[in-house]
Amino acid sequence: MTAPTTVPGYDASVPSLDDVGAVTDDVWLALVGEDEVLLPRPVPPGSPFDATGAWSAAVTVTGEWQGVVTVELDEQVARLLSARMLALPEDGPVNDGDVADAVGELVNMVGGNVKSLMPGPSVLSLPSVAAGRAAFASDVVEVCRLDVAWRGGPVRVCVHVPRP
Amino acid sequence: MRAMIIDDSRAMRSILRRIVTGLDFETSEAEHGQAALDQMHAGVVPDLCLVDWNMPVMDGYTFIQQVRANPEWRDITLMMVTTESEQRQIVRALAAGAHEYVIKPFTPEAIVEKLELLGLVPAVREVPA
Repeated sequence: MTAPTTVPGYDASVPSLDDVGAVTDDVWLALVGEDEVLLPRPVPPGSPFDATGAWSAAVTVTGEWQGVVTVELDEQVARLLSARMLALPEDGPVNDGDVADAVGELVNMVGGNVKSLMPGPSVLSLPSVAAGRAAFASDVVEVCRLDVAWRGGPVRVCVHVPRP
Repeated sequence: MRAMIIDDSRAMRSILRRIVTGLDFETSEAEHGQAALDQMHAGVVPDLCLVDWNMPVMDGYTFIQQVRANPEWRDITLMMVTTESEQRQIVRALAAGAHEYVIKPFTPEAIVEKLELLGLVPAVREVPA
């Protein structure tokens, strides 16, 4: 892991993209197994999340470090991930409640591990999950964005800190 | 042996259930600490609790305090399984009476290793997928 970096103009430390990538890889591996990994997905800066349908989730960190960690998943990725976590047939139905639960646990694990990279003590909120693209809070600014793909579908992890 | 899995995520309970049933544990589940205490008061007393920290209604730390406050439950082994990884919090949980602490994400091998250290499973066995 590398030390948190500081964004010019912001009085806040932020985790490096490499660290967020490592955390996300570790969580994904634990949830789906070693046979399928997340692949890099080059996306121009500022591009909207270009998923067909989507699920969004967020956790908030408060304390010595403050921030919001968000995850966005393509609809099909979210359902396949949920099926894998719940040991359900991948070609069978997965209800929205199960998807919300699984996506919530994903952001909880990613957010908790991002929190561990940052100065403490701090507290992690319970996750909030939405079907579709969530409008994340306007009083934060995105400082780190990871775009990856699983089975061809997009996954985005972002770290936001309070707007100065 | 009976294990109770206490986590607000059904998906995480499913993952943990597959691991411990593969080790021949019978399992019960609760979505927060209060629901687990309710089951235990009703007579479902496990040998092992796998407890998340951050949960609604009653968090895992409070659950551990409640279990340790009841002498009838002193033989229950408590293992926290959580994303909470601050050293200060780990020390708090262990001081409150947790026997072991596993940080998410984890591998099945990590859970099995902890259970071996606690003497709840034999040291040589195949790790469930």
